[in-house]
Amino acid sequence: MEIANIVDKCAGTVSEVTIGATKDEGGTRGKVVTVGGANSIPFMDFDGSPGHKPAIAMDVYDVAPEEWPEPLLKHYADVVNSPADWAKKCAEYGADLICLKLDGIHPDKGNRSADETVSTVKSILEAVDLPLIIWGCENDERDNEIMPKVSEAAKGERCLLGGATQENYKTITAVSLADGHNLITQAPVDINIGKQINILVTDLGFPTDRIVMFQTTGALGYGIEYCYSIHERGRIAALSGDQQMATPVICDVGHEAWRAKEAKASDEEAPQWGSFADRGIMWEAITATTLIQSGVDIIRMNHPESVSIVKKHIENLT
Amino acid sequence: MSENSNTYKIHFLPNDQNVEVNEGSTVLDAAHSANIYINSICGGDGVCGKCKVIISDGTVDAPASKLLSKEEVDKNYIIACEAGITSDLQVLIPHETRLEGKKILLDQNEQHTMTWKAILGQAGFEHDALVKKICLKLEPPTMDDNVADHERLYQAIMMKQGIELNVMQTGYSILRKLPFVLRENDWTVTVTLGHRGRVLEIIDVQPGDTSSNNYGVAIDVGTTTVVACLLELETSKVVDSEAVYNAQMKYGEDYIQRIMYAMQNDTLDEMQRSIVADINKLISTLVERNSIKLDDITSIVCAGNTAMHHFLLGLDPERIRKEPYIPTANFIPPIRAIQLGIDINSRGLLYTLPSVAAYVGADITSGAAAIRLDKEEKPTLLIDIGTNGEVVLGNKEWMVCCSASAGPAFEGSGIKHGMRAAKGAIEIMHITKEFEVSYSAIGDVAPRGICGSGLLDCIAEMLRSGIIDRSGKFQKGIKSDKLRERDDEHEFVLVSKEETGIDSDIVITQADIANLIRSKGAIYAAVSMLIESMGLGINDVHCVYLAGGFGNYLNVRNAITIGMLPDMPASRIKFVGNTSLTGAKMALLSEDAFEAVQNIASMMTYFDLMGNQKYMDEYMSANFLPHTNLDEFPSVQEELSSLNQQLSGTN
Repeated sequence: MEIANIVDKCAGTVSEVTIGATKDEGGTRGKVVTVGGANSIPFMDFDGSPGHKPAIAMDVYDVAPEEWPEPLLKHYADVVNSPADWAKKCAEYGADLICLKLDGIHPDKGNRSADETVSTVKSILEAVDLPLIIWGCENDERDNEIMPKVSEAAKGERCLLGGATQENYKTITAVSLADGHNLITQAPVDINIGKQINILVTDLGFPTDRIVMFQTTGALGYGIEYCYSIHERGRIAALSGDQQMATPVICDVGHEAWRAKEAKASDEEAPQWGSFADRGIMWEAITATTLIQSGVDIIRMNHPESVSIVKKHIENLT
Repeated sequence: MSENSNTYKIHFLPNDQNVEVNEGSTVLDAAHSANIYINSICGGDGVCGKCKVIISDGTVDAPASKLLSKEEVDKNYIIACEAGITSDLQVLIPHETRLEGKKILLDQNEQHTMTWKAILGQAGFEHDALVKKICLKLEPPTMDDNVADHERLYQAIMMKQGIELNVMQTGYSILRKLPFVLRENDWTVTVTLGHRGRVLEIIDVQPGDTSSNNYGVAIDVGTTTVVACLLELETSKVVDSEAVYNAQMKYGEDYIQRIMYAMQNDTLDEMQRSIVADINKLISTLVERNSIKLDDITSIVCAGNTAMHHFLLGLDPERIRKEPYIPTANFIPPIRAIQLGIDINSRGLLYTLPSVAAYVGADITSGAAAIRLDKEEKPTLLIDIGTNGEVVLGNKEWMVCCSASAGPAFEGSGIKHGMRAAKGAIEIMHITKEFEVSYSAIGDVAPRGICGSGLLDCIAEMLRSGIIDRSGKFQKGIKSDKLRERDDEHEFVLVSKEETGIDSDIVITQADIANLIRSKGAIYAAVSMLIESMGLGINDVHCVYLAGGFGNYLNVRNAITIGMLPDMPASRIKFVGNTSLTGAKMALLSEDAFEAVQNIASMMTYFDLMGNQKYMDEYMSANFLPHTNLDEFPSVQEELSSLNQQLSGTN
């Protein structure tokens, strides 16, 4: 007797967002990345289309990171002061996208000027042909000053700019709209605020299919369960037809995993925890693979080895 | 005697009242002992900042307060509850702190000299007062007809009213005077009959025909205002009505604070006397103004929340406040009004309408009867917005109710220029795309503040004109100098100082907006919880009755636009004013109505929302304009997107 295959069909589909623009499209990227498009629970391809597979963005900072532990830093030691070279290295390590995090424009972290920042962005665009995510420093005043300049400098490249928060969304939304970029909307692990910020930016005329949501990430041992369930609720809402939640999701795994004390404590400090050299890599990889299961579309990561573990994991699942 | 027992003389202006107090008392204490009302929402905890007064002479020991602006500090303003008295003082109570123009708005359908026959008829209640007077012409006894006086009276009542003998009851004092009264006017007497449960009591017997002199008082015993309405029971005519602010306000603006005050200071008796004094004052005003005799008032029906009933009857309210929130009684038998110290006919009865639970009181059961929720075929909603927001959903077969801790924002409390619906309150507001504000104030005087309906208009209109976004945040980019920053907070000027009846601009602040959004969110969340708990959708709700003291007028569309009420055609929403009082009047005039309230109270199922996670989720998503789930507000979505396009077109 044949058993009928029961398909659990979903009412909603996550929108597709394309990051990066080739020459033909008015940019200079060698490749573009499209994320989203799912209309089934992650990896359940027998129920519907799981959409594009998760993409990995590797972080580049405009200032040298101060607190990276040695097992991570050693892979970038020669490039931390040159974002362009750093980006090249990420491309070699297999990044799908580069995420330029502009911590250096923060008043406490260097207060870098608009001109310096614009030339950093330009240098990366020249150094690699991967699509670019450009993320401010989360100081509203500085972001509102610098991001418009950055956006203008990268006009046509269809970057992903971040982040619009409920307190500060107007400027970045306006420039992303004007310069043809995609936009990250940001919420503090809160499904309502996540939706509300999406409504606020669409009220300004920003198209839903250019939004990527960021719900703030918690690493393994630092609130990953909460973060997972928010992603899961959001995705189920999207698949049930909630338009405001039907956007791809980005998470920040690298930064969160590598500031966990489990990733930072040396062998002398924590001999019982296993090898310092491997711990951080595993911490980052497990955080990433867990969140992939909740349906995230873009994962920001740091360590080349974790990246290759996670890429293999994605291949195995798809 | 210690040196701390120095006393100081405090002179209050403009009241021109003097009081002597001990050192260490606060200015607010002094005002209380002088019986001067000063606004105080927090009841003296130093957090609301409503009790601002000006020290025009003398010194006080007052800590620096964030609740005062720099301008106010320069003008010698202090927070009365925080200022310890250290010398003789002259205190000026500014306009905004005073409770002035005692006239509180009464319901519009409170047109005097109108009879309630039609209203009762419409509601399907028979006019048959709880306490009525009937005139009887008795046959004098003879040798052949030697029935005793008392039984003769019973027979006459039975003949005229068709009442069974075994349900009647007479008091001792009536028996003692009975033979004389019967013979005084040649066997013509007027009997006053009152319902006491299943028993019909002969409350009084008077010689002659006095049946037309029978009055009753319906009272809405509110936390904030007490409204009394005098009715002629035989004709069902509304004679007059009057309202006062509840004098218990000096013990705290909400009843939880009052319960705490009563318990901490052991002042339950004092607080009972306070509410009884309010009621006596109302009744004596009504009696004097209409030249009727106090003795002719034979009945009172009270409808108030559970806590106010406890205060009125001197019942211990402590357990209302504490888990598992148990009132002493929901159904209270009729008692003689005199037992509480209320002055009417010394044998007159006081009926308190029944409550459902600690946080759903007789104001709600009475309101549900007034709109005849118990006759509705289809599910119908009653939303009563008072100091708490109560919601009832039901029809003739079932009713569920809950209390949303909406807070008193829509009564004007906790809002910088909020006020109750009284003279000078802005009740209608309109804002143009150019940010010009037009308004209408109650009593056509210079505005002194904004009442509930005005605040509701204000939020809806600021959203439409783009002054705020959907999260309620001011849009700092707008081209208007009316949006400004004062004392580290953004505010929008609605009426400039020159036009107002107070000594400052009337503004709405960012905190006010957040407060109002939370309040409307709590109400909407309670509504959606109730609807969902019955497995219904908003389209299954046939009609929404919105009750409360917003003002004379309420823009239903604006209530939908801000997401306080569900998105449905405005024709299905009715603003019904003070239904608590309406129900009390009906109960006074009709035993049917009184029974209907009892039935409603016993059929209502109470849903406790406190600590309910689902309610918290609903509440969080409702904290947005109109709501985070736009699908629930399709017509508002359409309206706002077309406005958005217009706005971005003009920029």
